[in-house]
Amino acid sequence: MEKGYSIKSKPIYGTLVWQDHAMHHVVIAEGEGGKALLKLFQQKLPREPLSVLYLAADPQAEKYATTVQKIINEPVTIKDSQAELLNALKATLDSCYMGTQFYVAGTEGFIWKVAAVLRDAGVDDKNVFKELCGSLGRRLYCVHCKTTNENVHHNIHVCTGCGRHLIVREHFSRLMGAYMGFMIDAEVPGEIPAAEEIYP
Amino acid sequence: MNMAFKQETLRDDYTFSNSPESVRRFPFPFDEDEYMYSVNIEPHDAGPPGSVFEHAIDIDEHYLTECEERRIVLEDDHGRYVALPHMMDAQWDMVELVMTNLAKDYPESFQLTQDGDNWHWVNQPLGIDQKFVFGDTSTLPMEPFEFISRQVQGDWVIMDQRDEDLFADLGIVTGQADWSMAFDAGMSFKEWHAPVPHAPEMGIFDRALKYLLHLQYGSPVRRTNWRMCVNPRLDTSSEKWHLWGPDNVSVTAENVAEKVYLRVELQALFRLPRSNAIAFSIRTYMVSLEDLAKYPRWIKRLYRVLTSLHPDLAEYKGLNSYLPYVLNWLKPQDDGEVLPKGTQPE
Ligand code: HEM
Repeated sequence: MEKGYSIKSKPIYGTLVWQDHAMHHVVIAEGEGGKALLKLFQQKLPREPLSVLYLAADPQAEKYATTVQKIINEPVTIKDSQAELLNALKATLDSCYMGTQFYVAGTEGFIWKVAAVLRDAGVDDKNVFKELCGSLGRRLYCVHCKTTNENVHHNIHVCTGCGRHLIVREHFSRLMGAYMGFMIDAEVPGEIPAAEEIYP
Repeated sequence: MNMAFKQETLRDDYTFSNSPESVRRFPFPFDEDEYMYSVNIEPHDAGPPGSVFEHAIDIDEHYLTECEERRIVLEDDHGRYVALPHMMDAQWDMVELVMTNLAKDYPESFQLTQDGDNWHWVNQPLGIDQKFVFGDTSTLPMEPFEFISRQVQGDWVIMDQRDEDLFADLGIVTGQADWSMAFDAGMSFKEWHAPVPHAPEMGIFDRALKYLLHLQYGSPVRRTNWRMCVNPRLDTSSEKWHLWGPDNVSVTAENVAEKVYLRVELQALFRLPRSNAIAFSIRTYMVSLEDLAKYPRWIKRLYRVLTSLHPDLAEYKGLNSYLPYVLNWLKPQDDGEVLPKGTQPE
């Protein structure tokens, strides 16, 4: 990688910090994002109304869930599938009002799926704080067949939709929550460098 | 100008060609022997009769060809048309911009009658005769922007202006140079420009954005950008890279002059009155090296620009597979004559 290089459409994620002016906090996390949740609660347990939604789909995440549950005396919504978690989030949004701040922690794919639900509900992205946790796997949108490939760990990836070898273009769409992938050997079919795992 | 519309193809058998007038009016982009990105924005004022700048929206001999090409592309992939729901005012702004300009500048081909909101549009070359109520989508066969953009040359992106930024929220992009409207939909000015090398560090996008945020209604501006392509293929989209990529390696010393095209985008920007959005038109002109060589001044300048081009720009523009053939063919045509500044052919 060249010095000074950056993907200029790639969002830069921060560390979750409670927003003092909030009227209501909604925290949405998955998997390793459980650690970001615990870090948040080490900062403080806010006075304002709080909703916590957590996706725990593996034993480690279940441990985080138990710990979080113990340290805050408020109900935590725990789900074991992403679809259920997003549905629970939609239901929570019905009772949100102006001044709600949102905190999201998890993989990049998860973050932007949550962001899409919030956007559809009219939440301004300025009020959504994001921390990247866990796998660096990317979502890769195949520009040829429009399939979005989940959890891509290698710089060259065989599209699950069309079977083409895709290379990641240095371009990220927040609406799609994905990087653009395009065919690497279009000019000379079969000329494909060895794939390397660079998004572990 | 010659308003006989040709019926050519921009794919498969590529019957596209430029008449001598069409070559002469080509918006050659290089006024100097070297090229680097810059904020090359100027007022989109009326130019000399017959030039591509004569009218705000240029219609030329390829009008029918390009409308048919757009129809083919949309039929295969309607995702080349993107319309976010909050852009309906901008859609109607576009109906007005295109219809009023075409009817004013090409009255022999396009006629518009306006009686309050009752409009009557006649497009003779395409055989369209449509009465509709301006502002009432149910009176048109499809969304207003799709309806009108199928009847005009060039790609269009309509940008919503909010939070001191511009967002690509409406667009019809069927003949682009390796990018994807479907992917860039909803992006901000700096996001969609992310893949461009060097321009961000040069501050180009900061300055361009600042300028555009203050663009005034009635004072459109323009700039050019350029690429090259192999075969007169308008649809060199990222979507279809698997189809046109192989062409890049089909260039040989024998076919380079007829196969390789200089491809210029005349980009104009118009503030729209109702939506306060900005319309960005990307009108692509393609001329083969063979045709360009009718004007030695152009061919010498092209040679000098290409030999001094920054390697990162050559790579980004996708020239590398065939650039050596191009340079070999151009080289003997440059006698080293000093060329005064300017883009004119002679
Ligand atoms: C008016 C100021 C602008 C400047 C100075 C500017 C500059 C540039 C430059 C230097 C490039 C690289 C082109 C190449 O090497 O072939 C580029 C690409 C591009 N520009 Fe602009 N641009 C401007 C406005 C716009 C606007 C208003 C749009 C609206 C959509 C736009 C859309 C694009 C796109 C989609 C690309 C291709 C990016 C990619 O590779 O994915 N530009 N622009």
